[in-house]
Amino acid sequence: MAATAISRGMPRSGMSTGMRRILTHGGIFVALILAWEVGARTGFLDPLFFPKPSAILASFWRIYFVQGNIWYHLYVSLGLVFAGFAAGSILGIALGSLVGFNSLVRRFIKPYVIVLEATPRIAVAPLLIAALGFGAQSKIAIIMLVCFFAPFINTLSGVVNVNEEKLELFKSLGASKMQILRKLVLPEAVPVIMAGERLALTAALSGVLVAEFIQRDQGIGSLILVYTRNLNMASAFACIFTLTIVGFLIFKGMEILDRRIAFWNHEDGMARVGALRKGRWAKQAEA
Amino acid sequence: MADPFPEVRPNRLWGLSRLVPHLALFAAIIALWEVSVRAGLITSIMIPRPSAIGAAIVDLYFVTGTIWPHFFVTLTEAVVGFLIGAGIAIALAVGSSLSDPFKRYVTPYAIVLNVTPGIALTPIIIAWFGFGMGSKMALAAVISFFPIFVNTLTGLTQPDGEREELFRSLGASHVQIFWKLRVPSALPLMFAGLKIGLTTALIGAVVAEFAQATHGVGVLMNRFSFQLNMGASIATLLSMTLIGLILFYTMEFLDDRTVFWRREERRAAASRARARAWKRRTGK
Amino acid sequence: MKLLRTLAMTAAFGLTAGAAVAQTTVNMINPLPRSTNFFPLVVGEELGYFAEEDVEVNLLPSDTSIPYVAFIQNGQADLAMLDPFETVNARLAGADIATVFEVMQNAPEGIAVAADSDVQSMSDLVGTTVGLVSDRDRAFLQSALATAGHSLDDVETVVLGEAGPTLAAAVRDGTVSAIAGAAPDWIALIANGIETRLITPPELLASPANTFAMSVEAIDGDKRDAVEGFLRAWCKGMHAATVNPEAVAAILKKNVPEEWEIEAAGQLYLDMSIGMNVSVTERCGDVQPAVWTGIQPQMKASGGITDIVPVEDFLNDSYIEAANDFDRDEVASEINAWAEENM
Repeated sequence: MAATAISRGMPRSGMSTGMRRILTHGGIFVALILAWEVGARTGFLDPLFFPKPSAILASFWRIYFVQGNIWYHLYVSLGLVFAGFAAGSILGIALGSLVGFNSLVRRFIKPYVIVLEATPRIAVAPLLIAALGFGAQSKIAIIMLVCFFAPFINTLSGVVNVNEEKLELFKSLGASKMQILRKLVLPEAVPVIMAGERLALTAALSGVLVAEFIQRDQGIGSLILVYTRNLNMASAFACIFTLTIVGFLIFKGMEILDRRIAFWNHEDGMARVGALRKGRWAKQAEA
Repeated sequence: MADPFPEVRPNRLWGLSRLVPHLALFAAIIALWEVSVRAGLITSIMIPRPSAIGAAIVDLYFVTGTIWPHFFVTLTEAVVGFLIGAGIAIALAVGSSLSDPFKRYVTPYAIVLNVTPGIALTPIIIAWFGFGMGSKMALAAVISFFPIFVNTLTGLTQPDGEREELFRSLGASHVQIFWKLRVPSALPLMFAGLKIGLTTALIGAVVAEFAQATHGVGVLMNRFSFQLNMGASIATLLSMTLIGLILFYTMEFLDDRTVFWRREERRAAASRARARAWKRRTGK
Repeated sequence: MKLLRTLAMTAAFGLTAGAAVAQTTVNMINPLPRSTNFFPLVVGEELGYFAEEDVEVNLLPSDTSIPYVAFIQNGQADLAMLDPFETVNARLAGADIATVFEVMQNAPEGIAVAADSDVQSMSDLVGTTVGLVSDRDRAFLQSALATAGHSLDDVETVVLGEAGPTLAAAVRDGTVSAIAGAAPDWIALIANGIETRLITPPELLASPANTFAMSVEAIDGDKRDAVEGFLRAWCKGMHAATVNPEAVAAILKKNVPEEWEIEAAGQLYLDMSIGMNVSVTERCGDVQPAVWTGIQPQMKASGGITDIVPVEDFLNDSYIEAANDFDRDEVASEINAWAEENM
């Protein structure tokens, strides 16, 4: 009797939706990997371009734990990525805001920025190295160039495309330019700027690779080159997947950051901050 | 939508008074450069005199015409790659905005594709698409996919509660809400994405050319660099820039025409055109 | 006692610090990071030969889309590794550089085919697609075709990109009938089981593939001693491989593990590299005026260079004497001692 009573109260399926989703995604992924392994072993997939997943795993083990040679290169490359990203996006946001607000600057700087962006960075790299010398500084400069434009354009777009009715509302309530900037323009622009940042960071990963293909002394890029040159495709893939994983982690990190900063764009975030502010307001009212 | 700080439109540069300051600044920079090289202040073999670059430009474009086939090869690679990448990106973004499960399945793979640097995928892409223009277009498509996808998706999923309520209260269907509200609101952001995507496509094409190519501006530039003909090499680099500019301004033009309500004059012109059409239709 | 010990330690520190300060950095720009391909560098560093000469090697491995010559001119590099086309073109462009050392005397460019292909000579290539490792190899292909009376118009060319899977697949699958490149390009193929065979016309076999160039100004400049030391250490490293190649293999495995993950491939790579690096001339790295005079007419005919430069204008052997000034037996005993300790 008691047993049936308990079982009636229990939920039917033992899994939450989140759990089920992870399992579905995971299942698909594993199926793809198995298909790849089979394909590579039977010769269906060219071993020169599709090394066996088992070989790739073996490489992961080797370069991370047995030889441990990847750690230093990873450290170097990531250092460059973050330095270049920080420098590039700060410059991009700053210039984007400046240009968005100031038509005179916009007129003069626009042609040069466009020309700079229209030129593929890989072609400009030798000139940068000649100007700045070999070493981290020219690599960071290349990454900066790559990271600059997305935040710049998105910031500019965000600043310029403010909702007109909201602007009217603000003006009718007698808001000063400063208030308009802080309470209307910036909040409207932030989601767009954040989207630009995400693009910039992933672009930075590409940028560091380009920089390291040209100046190939150290870093994941140079490692990929050595492995590719020696036809050790399993290890080359291990390096590429390392970058994918790192990029994915960075991307997810940015997403979390975006939720926190541009909370009004997301329902739950808005609810959370709304509740927080309500609490604060109530406390102020009491005081 | 208008600027918070209304100002004179900078796009209309036709007036000579607008153009002159730009030309003056540019001429000053070039003159300074030429003088520096002649005076021996800049001696690097990598920075030739502007006059040498100018001579190379005249030679490559008009005298021998060496650059034209390569120019068009790279331009085609970038444009076709972009169209493919943009087509797929927009389709997937629209699908993702309409269906949450779709979005959940597509987004991880889109992100994975994005975070894997294109330059590392080059050998595989060349293997799949061959030695010709195909592999450059493919890399261009792969690299330009993500900015367009992300921007379009963000644009389509921006919360716009009041307006949506207004539409719904007027009895609009889902389809109408999508086409009349979501799409127009998304367009500015989408075009920002397309602009980035187009220049990124050019980068993809050039990177693929640097890795392996027989024709194209990238190949030509390397050839001149190797022969230490830096004047011609930089002239070729500028050609790459020219291609990029052509692409960018084409996109700006399309942006201007499509997202017309952002510009006062365009909005007025469009309103007038619609008024005329309405008059014709209702016969008033 | 304590004072004496402190003084002694300070003196010791001072001396070592002084020794460290006395080190000169030699900047060398070449296409590869430390590699089996240029093993004298790795071996020399492992056995302390560069440190003995108070030289610290700063390697600047860079893509060849960067004109190396520009960097020895502006002083960012002291030595640049160039091939004959780059050297002559640099002189023709007015760069004041000199070739001071021949790094690889035995790595001729060549035309390679898959071992099992039917192609036996240049004439068999007519009407086919020939792969080029890079755009620059077109000139060599042209010279090779010219020796058999053909021209570039008789073949289709496609650029394959430097080494890597694209090149390997093209050879293996026969997508191209042959490839025009240099030995380092097909070493990786051979080491990975894709057998190749050379059909290079004999007239083109003698060509110093890699040489060190310096800016003429710098030759008698303040890094004179450092560069002498660098080249001497390089020669010692080269000599060690002729004495004890197994020890050299161990040194490379230790310092460049990425190239030795597949052991057999690494070993093959080394065997071929030894063949390419070890000088044929009596003196290590000696410049060969006769060879340079001989190859330029072909280079010009193939369109790779616009004019011929007299060899006395750029060949400079002032470093060769000093580079060879070492005791070969001492090197032999040192490499054997290393082997004792580490293997």
